[in-house]
Amino acid sequence: MSGLTLKRFSIQTQANIISISLSLLTTFAITVILILCIGKNPFPIFGTMFSEVFLSGYGIGQTLFKATPLIICGCGLAFCFHAAIFNIGAEGQLNAGAFTMGLVALKLEAFPWYISIVICVIVSFGVSAFFGLIPALIKIKKSVSEVITTIMMNFIIMALINYFLVDFFAAKSTMHTEKIPENMMLLKFSTMFSFFQGSSLNICFVIALLLAFISYIVIYKTKFGYEIRAVGFNPSASKYIGISPDRIVLLTFMIGAGITSLVGLNFIMGYKGFYEYGFSNNVGFTAIAVALLARNNPIGIIFSAILFGVLDSGGLAVNEMVPKEIVLVVQGVIILTILSINTIVDKKFNLKR
Amino acid sequence: MNAVEFNNITKSFGQLTVNDKVTFAVEENTVHCLLGENGAGKSTLMKILFGSYHQDEGTIKIRGKEVKFKSPLDAIDEKIGMLYQHFMLIDDFTIWENVVLGNELSSFGKLDYKKIKARLNEIIEQYNLGLDINKKICDISISQEQKVELLKLLYRNSEILIFDEPTAVLSPVEVKEFFKIIEKFKADGKTIIFITHKLNEVKELADKVSILRKGQLVYETSKENIDVQRLGNEIIGNVEITECPAKSHPNEDNRKYFIELKDVTLIKNKVKVLDDISFDIKRYEIHGICGVEGNGQQELVDVILQFEKSFSGSVMMKDERVSIVPDDRYKRGMIKEFTIGENILLKKKNTGFISKYMVDSTSQYIMKKYDVRAPSAETPLGSLSGGNQQKAIIAREIEMQQNTMIFYHPTRGVDINAMAFIHSEIVSLRNGGKAILLISSDLDELLKLSDRLSVMHKGRLINTFTESELVTENKNNLVEEIGKLMIGIH
Repeated sequence: MSGLTLKRFSIQTQANIISISLSLLTTFAITVILILCIGKNPFPIFGTMFSEVFLSGYGIGQTLFKATPLIICGCGLAFCFHAAIFNIGAEGQLNAGAFTMGLVALKLEAFPWYISIVICVIVSFGVSAFFGLIPALIKIKKSVSEVITTIMMNFIIMALINYFLVDFFAAKSTMHTEKIPENMMLLKFSTMFSFFQGSSLNICFVIALLLAFISYIVIYKTKFGYEIRAVGFNPSASKYIGISPDRIVLLTFMIGAGITSLVGLNFIMGYKGFYEYGFSNNVGFTAIAVALLARNNPIGIIFSAILFGVLDSGGLAVNEMVPKEIVLVVQGVIILTILSINTIVDKKFNLKR
Repeated sequence: MNAVEFNNITKSFGQLTVNDKVTFAVEENTVHCLLGENGAGKSTLMKILFGSYHQDEGTIKIRGKEVKFKSPLDAIDEKIGMLYQHFMLIDDFTIWENVVLGNELSSFGKLDYKKIKARLNEIIEQYNLGLDINKKICDISISQEQKVELLKLLYRNSEILIFDEPTAVLSPVEVKEFFKIIEKFKADGKTIIFITHKLNEVKELADKVSILRKGQLVYETSKENIDVQRLGNEIIGNVEITECPAKSHPNEDNRKYFIELKDVTLIKNKVKVLDDISFDIKRYEIHGICGVEGNGQQELVDVILQFEKSFSGSVMMKDERVSIVPDDRYKRGMIKEFTIGENILLKKKNTGFISKYMVDSTSQYIMKKYDVRAPSAETPLGSLSGGNQQKAIIAREIEMQQNTMIFYHPTRGVDINAMAFIHSEIVSLRNGGKAILLISSDLDELLKLSDRLSVMHKGRLINTFTESELVTENKNNLVEEIGKLMIGIH
């Protein structure tokens, strides 16, 4: 039995490794051509990028710091996508949660840090989950596609936050809230290891890894996770099996949206100390690509998030040598190549997907 | 002349050889029956002929000329037409729109309605199809949908027609009608390749028979020498068929009602889909319901399963949970991406963690106990053969150990072997004291298994045959009577 297991597992893994290396190579080739086209020499650029990202503690730290929100948000979306809920509203959902987190934290000065952080997490999780509940209800009751409702919710949420921030809560002549009590700030890696000197990497990265691990267990190893995937694969068969698809969609939408709120933890408590309008920098959208690239597997999401982190901080490192749009182009190209080469390799290995 | 010649056709998927050096010829202007179990390679061979698949080795000749089809479009150009088991029609389009879609007669880009409609009506007239081409697909019955598919083939002037189990969705009377149409095709010089599991149909129709077993051609015969017993043996090979246990009869007072429906009426879109239905199922009983598909069977199931709650009348049930083997295993029966074990654990009333060990041991247990054949415990249920999928689904329902069970088309599209197994399981469950509702459109199956048999037509139960009425010497009369009731002739 175990022999069979190993064999099948290794074919899938082999295919994955081959397809990922092939797509990285392809992307590399396309990028080289692209840089040549704009009349620059690509090799010093890659050299700088490599040494800045991989050879310095600061570079590694920044890369992981940028990967953290993508891991968190990617895990939230993985829940949704497994239930075939195409949630495009993570950007709005995570902002709603983070904004609340920034505000609630201000009122909790009297409590010890561990209590106040837990309260912040619970409240912001609830707020984000609430903004997942609305499109979920519309989907269940009126069968309106969540793609439309969540996109619209993004506009609504961002506009509301803008209004409340500017008119009530912003620190004077800024677009951010007041600074939260110092005791609630999360531990930074640079204070523990001087290797990471100067980077903003904080303990939230560990929380993100933990979250990915727990998400993996829930999705693949529990009855609830099986139910989520069953509904995603085939809602009408699920009904006959005794699962209520509506209940699963509702729960999963709320859980998925709720998880995205933890992105605020990284920025507010791990980095700046306040909620800032536009802090998320489209994490909610990039995380869609991160999750899809990892086929919604939370462990895979860790790696795809780090890949995006590399591109992000690498792009900053070569900011002066190439236009910053190149990084966006490379991000797009890498998704396209991985997705297309995946299918080609799977076909060669006779793996059905 | 030969319409089609298969010459040493070999086709493999990975390690599995589905067609192994298949060689035979289909004569022009004949009905050629192709038989075999599920997974014997019939469909693959037909898909190769139709250009959907490409053979690894061997050649195909159409009317003596070697052909290499890149896609079904090439096959259609050679006047080959395929009638699939699952129809491909657009519900919101009318019949004529569906037929001409992709093959429009036009003059300067404008559809020539008059010409098209005249031609379609001519074909309908010629073959007595009885269709109104201005009706929408959603307003016609399944047997009419099948005729629309036929109309498509005829409109494209197909001369070689491939029928993949066309009678599976038809009532006995409709089958007769369908056979008449086939006779007409033959009279007009068309060639028909007919795939079926029903051996009596073969006897009635076939000019020639070819049998595939495990990808190889094992037997061929022509009209004069057809022996149904022999055909059955050749199809399954030297495998013993599960014998159906005899029905045992317990004491009368054990026979409590497990489900009782009284005056159930359900109105959907202003149509009475269930009309004043009253019936019951007892322990130690198989209550059969026969009827042409779409006469309220699905709605009846939905009411019993409590998916549908807006009905009038009363439903009394002894247990809250009822086991169901749904009619369409792909759509409703299983999560085809999951393994056998995962499909079973998903339905069990447990919560918490599901480990790989649990999944695999459950798969293995089911595979052993119910003789479900799968390459390994980890194979997704969707990649097993139809018969094995159905066995796994039935195994799951049996393992639920509910007192009341619904079997809805339990043997649709499964081979003789699996069918015998499923029938014997159903009878054993009945003998074990379960109350069983059997909904089917296969009269042979219903007559073989049912203790009571009700006929359903347009949402009504129009007649119930009791046990004594079902045990009769004159089976043909009974079949004819039920057949008429199924299409609403009292």
